Amino acid sequence: MVLLSTPVDYLPIAMMFVVAIGFVLFVMFATHWMGPKHKSKVKLEAFECGIESKGNSRLPFSIKYFLIAILFVLFDVEVIFMYPWAVNFAEWSKHGLAAFGEMLVFLGLLVFGLIYIIRKGALKWE
Amino acid sequence: MVQFAWLIPMFPLLGFLLIGLLNKRLPVSLSGGIATLMVFLSFIVSAVIFGEVAQDGSVPERVVLFDWISVGDLSIPFSFLIDRLSVIMLMVVTGVGSLIHLYSIGYMHHEQDHPRYFSYLNLFVFFMLLLVLGSNYIVMFVGWEGVGLCSYLLIGFWFKNIDYSNAAKKAFIMNRIGDLGLLLGVFLIYTTFGSVGFREVFESARNFPENSEAITAICLLLFVGAMGKSAQIPLYTWLPDAMAGPTPVSALIHAATMVTAGIYMVVRSNVLYVLSPDASEIVAFVGLATAFFAATIGLKQNDIKKVLAYSTVSQLGYMFVALGVGAYQTALFHVITHAFFKALLFLGAGSVIHAMSGEQDIRRMGGLKKALPITHATFLIGTLAIAGLPPFAGFFSKDEILAKVWEHSPVMFIVLAVTSVLTAVYMLRLYWLTFYGDFRGTENQKHHLHESPATMTMPLVVLAILSTVGGFIGMPEVFHAPHFLNEFLAPVIWKVNHHEASETFEYMLMGISVVLLLLIMFATYNTYVTKKVMPEENDKDLQGFAKLVANKYYVDEIYEAVITKPLNGISSFVYKYIDQGFIDKLVNGTGTSLTGFSGVLRFVQTGNIGGYIFSMVIGIIVILVLTMIL
Amino acid sequence: MKALIVIALLGVVTMMSEVFRFKKLLLPLVVVGLLAACGLAIGDWNTAIRYYSDMVYFDNYSLAFTSLIIVLTLLWLIISKGYFVSDSSRAEHATLILFTLCGGVIMTAYSDLSMFFVGLEILSISLYVLASSNKHDLKSNEAGMKYFLMGSFATGFLLFGMALIYGAAASFNLVKIAEYVQTTAAHGQTPMFVYTGVLLMMVGLMFKVSAAPFHFWAPDVYEGAPTLITAFMATVVKTAAFAAFYRLFSTCFGDISGFWAQTLAVISAVTMLTGNILAVSQTSLKRMLAYSSIAHAGYMLMAIVAMNKISGGAIFLYATAYSLGSLGAFACLHAISKYGDESIENLKGFAADNKIWAGLLGVIVLSLAGIPPVAGFFAKYYIFYGVFQSNFTWLVLVAILSSLIGVYYYFRIIITMVQPRSEKATVLPALTGAHKALLLISALLALGIGIYPAFLQGLLS
Repeated sequence: MVLLSTPVDYLPIAMMFVVAIGFVLFVMFATHWMGPKHKSKVKLEAFECGIESKGNSRLPFSIKYFLIAILFVLFDVEVIFMYPWAVNFAEWSKHGLAAFGEMLVFLGLLVFGLIYIIRKGALKWE
Repeated sequence: MVQFAWLIPMFPLLGFLLIGLLNKRLPVSLSGGIATLMVFLSFIVSAVIFGEVAQDGSVPERVVLFDWISVGDLSIPFSFLIDRLSVIMLMVVTGVGSLIHLYSIGYMHHEQDHPRYFSYLNLFVFFMLLLVLGSNYIVMFVGWEGVGLCSYLLIGFWFKNIDYSNAAKKAFIMNRIGDLGLLLGVFLIYTTFGSVGFREVFESARNFPENSEAITAICLLLFVGAMGKSAQIPLYTWLPDAMAGPTPVSALIHAATMVTAGIYMVVRSNVLYVLSPDASEIVAFVGLATAFFAATIGLKQNDIKKVLAYSTVSQLGYMFVALGVGAYQTALFHVITHAFFKALLFLGAGSVIHAMSGEQDIRRMGGLKKALPITHATFLIGTLAIAGLPPFAGFFSKDEILAKVWEHSPVMFIVLAVTSVLTAVYMLRLYWLTFYGDFRGTENQKHHLHESPATMTMPLVVLAILSTVGGFIGMPEVFHAPHFLNEFLAPVIWKVNHHEASETFEYMLMGISVVLLLLIMFATYNTYVTKKVMPEENDKDLQGFAKLVANKYYVDEIYEAVITKPLNGISSFVYKYIDQGFIDKLVNGTGTSLTGFSGVLRFVQTGNIGGYIFSMVIGIIVILVLTMIL
Repeated sequence: MKALIVIALLGVVTMMSEVFRFKKLLLPLVVVGLLAACGLAIGDWNTAIRYYSDMVYFDNYSLAFTSLIIVLTLLWLIISKGYFVSDSSRAEHATLILFTLCGGVIMTAYSDLSMFFVGLEILSISLYVLASSNKHDLKSNEAGMKYFLMGSFATGFLLFGMALIYGAAASFNLVKIAEYVQTTAAHGQTPMFVYTGVLLMMVGLMFKVSAAPFHFWAPDVYEGAPTLITAFMATVVKTAAFAAFYRLFSTCFGDISGFWAQTLAVISAVTMLTGNILAVSQTSLKRMLAYSSIAHAGYMLMAIVAMNKISGGAIFLYATAYSLGSLGAFACLHAISKYGDESIENLKGFAADNKIWAGLLGVIVLSLAGIPPVAGFFAKYYIFYGVFQSNFTWLVLVAILSSLIGVYYYFRIIITMVQPRSEKATVLPALTGAHKALLLISALLALGIGIYPAFLQGLLS
């Protein structure tokens, strides 16, 4: 595999970009210009599901929701690390319990994190 | 023990820091004690190392403290060289140094500013030891500059007196002129030999042909440095003015140690000077001229310290003559004996001044013999030593110089011999006028006359003993006694031009000098004591040559007219038109436009993240485009 | 490695101090832990061990920088005591500082681009929070937000660069990348996208060290963040970022330096000029120090441009001298800004009230300005010398010119300091013992390094 390349080699790609962007822009403007336009109050209203919309969609709700959501994501993501570990565990365990210990350390740190958020009261809803 | 050489300069440095930092918080009586103790501790360490080197130290030993500067090929360690030359100097510096520190306790008794004085003095010893110990020209240069600084500080110790401050400035500037020469010499050494370490330089120098241009240039430049520090023509005028400092300072710095740094440096570089007979000839000539002129000036001085100052200049000239004719050991021999008797004379003078409540004019003294018995006796020994009466120290070293000069050139010998006659004349004149005859001071001074305290007389006695026996370390060859100093120094001196002088000549020389000296003693006694011939009250009464001499050949006035005035003129011109008119405007203009530019540019920093990110993206695009395409 | 583990565990422990209520032990714990970590790092000197399939590599380079940033953190702790004793979220602050340090250590010791990224993120994310740690101050919030937005933007470029390099070398390992770059460069077959990758990584790193034109975040963030955090960012974090920058480029891309060195030289010149020129017109001492830190980044970039055998030592010496100087200056700023006003005018009358401390501040400022015989001069000297050796004479000239501009505003500090106090000023600069201690230590170290610079410089040469 020869990885020698010069800017000229990228010319087709650049041309493709130009053509692609040009096509999109052309189509957007063309449809806008060619299509019929009928403006009325009903037509300009935001459409949700057929029922008349009421009030503002940007309602404030408790910050705690975000906190719990992000904590969930955090711990959820950490679990992903256990998959590759589990897959290889059979092989590693032949050489002793080091791999097991390492996972314990990892989980231990997670537990510390959990203790911290519980004691800090991050999961209290009130 | 050699490994502990770093202790030697460490003690005075410690003393300087201790006294300097605690300053007024220190009990008044303590600062002098600490300072003396520190130098004395250095002396003990030096003595132990001296003993070791004397035993078996014919091989120089290098003590590396740390890598100091290392850039590219240039590597300068902060290291000390312990060889026979440096240990001798160590002994002189710390030995005489501690005596003078001790003396200072008594002498500065009435002073307010004790700690400042002693911290400077300790700092001086520290730098002097660096100068002597350094194993390369750069460390030596640090010491060289440091002693110059301390000399400046101590000459101007009573800085409220404007004349004293001016004297300090004069000393500093003259020294700077010399230092420039030295520095250029060191640069030239580096470009020629690729190193500044003593060992490396001398080893590669040995392969150079005689009188090569580079080495001659180096020698002359180094000698310019020596001229400044060791007060040789034309840079000698600062030394007499330096007497403005306290008398122990004059004894330590301006007689015994610092001013001999130039001689030490030439002895250290003897390999280079041997290779350059041309430069050596110039050294001898300048030394000879200095010795003679300073001696003639000494004839007509009336200030006790000024006489001694000119005598110092003259004696330094002697040493340079010895260096010039290749008698390096002899020069160092004279450095040692001179350190003893000149320190003794200065301290004796200090004791006299102390007794006279600050009076320095010998026309106001006389008959002090009874009031100051110890001072008188020791001063007499010093006078005899410098005049060259056997068996006092000066006799041996001076005679050796004369003998060596005879081998080199009879003309030089005659001038030097006349100089030594002159030396005897002005020293004995000083002695008779001070200690014999009637007291010529005020009644008040007469009541106040008293012998100095023990802290002052003790160093006098020790130095007097040293001035008496110090000469025996270098007995003349004709006596067939071992010349300790020559043997001791043999490993550090490269080539000794060893001509056996004829025995008859030596005996004749000694005989004539002793007889001459006795004659001079008689003649001067007759003039100044019996006939009571007094120096003129007013210089204006003098006529002809005497007037010229009393006014020191108008050298100061000539320098003033030829150098200082035109320089001041040029300087004020440059200041007014070039500096203020052009450079200042340029600099200020740059500053103003910079501030303006900066003021405009700061508006780029809007605080708007969108703007920031935009400019970042522009930056990235510019970088990518420029690097990838260009 | 032991040092890294100690610092990481220390972070966890300090975090627990809040919930298990041993907050009183916080400060002693941190100090003892850091001292231990520093000792362990120094104890590993000359071992050069690769850990975890060559993920991190603690050679002398990384050990030297690790010790340096730990020592700097310890010095920083002297003035930050209040931050750890009285503040309500002190445990969190300690934890974040320790994790920042942890990231910094990884950045000095990585041997794999993935580790580099992990270290950088540990460091950055903690810093984002620290920058906005003064919750009630709008400016602090703004600083954290700005830093976060722009930082993540720059991280994107860094990752893109890494991806391109991975695409070419098929490895994240520095040694393998270096081998790859060397072989392809020897045959003149380096693909274009490797170059692009190098440039993009350079952009990401230049953001972190605040080189122009990626410096815009720095003055705002430095000004908005609490003064102590600014001091930490300007010293420890900057040192770590430069350690990472130099490590990456000297290990991997030395063989194609002909390609990027010229660009980096231009950027370094622009950076020091921008920093110095803009610092001239600042009235706030804090902002002035921010610009000065940009200018110093420009000088340190020069060492990367030079990339010869003395550069490693030179950049280490420079980072040390600069960080010590900055810590001293920030200590003083912290002292005078207690009442919320950071104007340089507040320094008026400082010298009359605190003669000794003003003198020490003077020494520190001289070191920052690069006046002999203080550390800063020798640091600059070695950097300039290295660049000169690598034939970038024009860059040395620009650097000297810009140092002259630097002298202008550094001396303004000294001049302001010795002026009599203005009538209107109600703020009296008050130095506590901690400020004095830090001033003393940094001034003495600056002098000591100035007397014997070859020691630090020689460690890595």
